[in-house]
Order: sequence, then structure tokens, then C-alpha cells
Amino acid sequence: MNDHPQYADSLALYAMEALDDPREIAELQAHLGTCGECRRELENLRADTVLLALSSVGPQPPQRSRERLMKAIAAEPRRAAEPRSRFVLGRQPRWLSLAPIGVALVLAVISIGMLRDILRLRNKNEKLQAQLSDTMRQNELAREVYSMLADSQAQRMNLVPVKAPSQPQIRTIYKPEKGHVLMLASGLHPAPDDKVYELWLLPMSGGDPIPAGTFRNDGMMMHSFDTAGIQAKGWAITMEPAPGGTKPQGAIMFAPPS
Amino acid sequence: MRVPMQVSQQDEAALLARIHAGDESAMAELYDRYSGIVYGVALRVLGSTASAEDLLQEVFLQLWRNPRAFDAERGRLAPWLAVIARNRAIDMLRRRPVEEDIDELPISTGVNLEDEAGERMAIDKVRGVLAQLPQEQRKTLEMAFFEGMTHTEISAKLGEPLGTVKTRIRSGLLALRKAFA
Repeated sequence: MNDHPQYADSLALYAMEALDDPREIAELQAHLGTCGECRRELENLRADTVLLALSSVGPQPPQRSRERLMKAIAAEPRRAAEPRSRFVLGRQPRWLSLAPIGVALVLAVISIGMLRDILRLRNKNEKLQAQLSDTMRQNELAREVYSMLADSQAQRMNLVPVKAPSQPQIRTIYKPEKGHVLMLASGLHPAPDDKVYELWLLPMSGGDPIPAGTFRNDGMMMHSFDTAGIQAKGWAITMEPAPGGTKPQGAIMFAPPS
Repeated sequence: MRVPMQVSQQDEAALLARIHAGDESAMAELYDRYSGIVYGVALRVLGSTASAEDLLQEVFLQLWRNPRAFDAERGRLAPWLAVIARNRAIDMLRRRPVEEDIDELPISTGVNLEDEAGERMAIDKVRGVLAQLPQEQRKTLEMAFFEGMTHTEISAKLGEPLGTVKTRIRSGLLALRKAFA
């Protein structure tokens, strides 16, 4: 963390989900995507929060909690195809059997109204969260795409068809120190439904090709390797059974011009 | 009802495998060992025994339904359950939708929470460190962790600058880490 002190405090807040500035969160997430040291520090901070949790340990749950759990799991179908709804396992509303029917009906009507409100708010909340998350991902991607396109040091290589006329074009832009590769494809025939195009990094040091992402047709694809710093001798594209594999099975369709 | 012996990482993996196979006694063992951690955290956040019992039930029931949610090779159960309990309790407290699945990442603490003596020592040590922190720093940490407040909310409530709140939280966590280094 010594290398990036500007993120130190925010990282601690992020570890306990106490950071609430969307811009700051997006910036931090973008940084975490490229910095292993800060990712490790985040893991350490999450472990530190566990220590904080320990300060609350002491009271033991009543015996009835254990009995309740054991009854519930005994009633669970094991590995059922469809998970059971929590409502099925919820506590029985005992008042239903005791209260006058009229009161129960009134309450039921009110409950249905409240339930609709809750579901509506919940759906709205989930949609907003999903939109925010998508926007942050897109911002992060756009920032990295821009930085790669603008970086004159990034390695650029055009791939052309081995046999066919050179209409389709694949361009790769690779930053080994970050482990990011950006691929731009144009003029491709869309892959059949059960197939995908797969990009492979051919390591400078030799060894097996490393999968670098799959795609189906023209467009842009960004891939991040788990390990940064791998030097590429070249790149190749094969067609593989969907959803792609870890070792190429198909013939090389695109490769660097010889 | 607690199991006095230490539970190794292999034991945890074996316990989860038995749970996956539908062995209810394995679930009982796991509950006896770790229910205190989940319940303690839930009670601290929610402040209600009934709500804490509900959360306890929910967490262990979901682990029973999906024991593979926890990867025994990447961490230990005790810290993982503590984080799940805290996050879900905060969701309940803040009336946020609670996730159906337990999908938090495994955590490695390096602290022995797998036997009662180790856990007791760790708890005492944590409480000792917290007691020595300046009161406002301890309060800030607790507001963030146990009350689920964001740094902006804490700053507004305490009337302190955002930067101060951030720094207090980080240095408080680092003080805990240092005590176990």
C-alpha cells in the first residue's frame, strides 16, 4: 500500500462498505482492477474488520434457535431443483388462527397493499443499483480503452487471415505491464451459435497459448490476464466450441502477418 | 453445546462435504461451533434477540442449502461467517433487500478462531485494543462497522471533516491488525 497512499483511507472505508461517493468508488474500483498490491491490502482490511466483529462475540443463542434450525433443515428437500421460498420456512403467523376473520381480512388487504409497495420499491432499488453498477463498469472500461488507445508505448499488432483474402481485420493493443489486451475486429463473419472466436496470447517464452477472451462477431473486446507482465510473441485467433476453452482445438484463423 | 476441540481447515472441508451430502449431524456440529460468532455479531448490529435469532437461522439455513458457497481452500469459516452476519445484519438494519444467496468472498485472518481458547484470547485482545483507542475513534469505527453508516453520514453526525473520519477508520483497523501481527 506504500506505493498508493492516496487510496489508503478510501480502501479502508471500501472494505466495510462505508464509502459512498460514486466517483470515488468508481476511481478506486478502476485502480483495484489494475493494482495487485491494493487488492491484497483490501483483503487485509477485510480481515481486519473480522477482528472488529470479534468484539461483539459473547452472548450465546438460546437453545430454541438450534432446535428451530434443525427442524428447518430436516424439513428441507435436499438438493431440490428449485430452492424453497423463505416464506415457506418462515414462522407461522399464530394470530391468524386466533383473530376474528373480519380483522384478518382487513389486515390481509392492507398487507397486500404494503407488499406491493415493498416489491415496487425493491424492484426500483435493484434496477437503480444495476444501472449504477453498469455505468461504473462502462466508465472504467472507457477510461482504460482511452488510455490504451492514447498510449504510444502499447504494443499494436494487426492480424490478417492466413488463407482467405484479407477483408476481415483484427487489431490487438496490448499492455504487458498491466496485463490488458484490447482487440478490435471488423469484417468478420458472425460465429455459428455453438461456436465462438477465441483470442490467444502466444508467450514470448514459448509454452502453451494463453486464452485471452472470446467473441462472436465484429466489435471491441477487452481482456485482463490474471498475471501482468507476460510478454507476447504474437496473437492468434481460432474458432472454438462455445463458450471457449483453455487450450485451442480449432485451426488458427488469424495470426500476425509473417 | 459447543465443540471444545480445534477445527482444522481439513476438518472444515470435511464438515462441509458431509453437509453437502445431507448429513444433519454435521450441520449441528458446525452450528455448535460457530453460532456464537454469528449470533454475537447479529445481536450487536440489530440490538434485538428476536432479529438476531432470525438472522442466525437464515445464515445457517442458507449454508445448509448451499454449502459450496464457501470455498474451504481460500479461507476459514469463522471469519467468513462473521462477515456474512455483519453484512446481512446491516442490510436488515437499513431495510435493504437481503440477498438469497451467501456469496461473500472467503477471508483469511491468521487469527485462531477455530477453538474456544483461541477465540477467547482473540476477543480479549480486540477489546483491549479498542479500549485503548481514543473514544471518538472507537465510536467512528463502530458507527461504520456495526451501524453500517457511510463516512458522509458519520461526518455529518459527528460534525467532523470527511478526511478525519476516513483516517480514524483506517488507523483504527491498522491498530487491530498490529495487535495480531
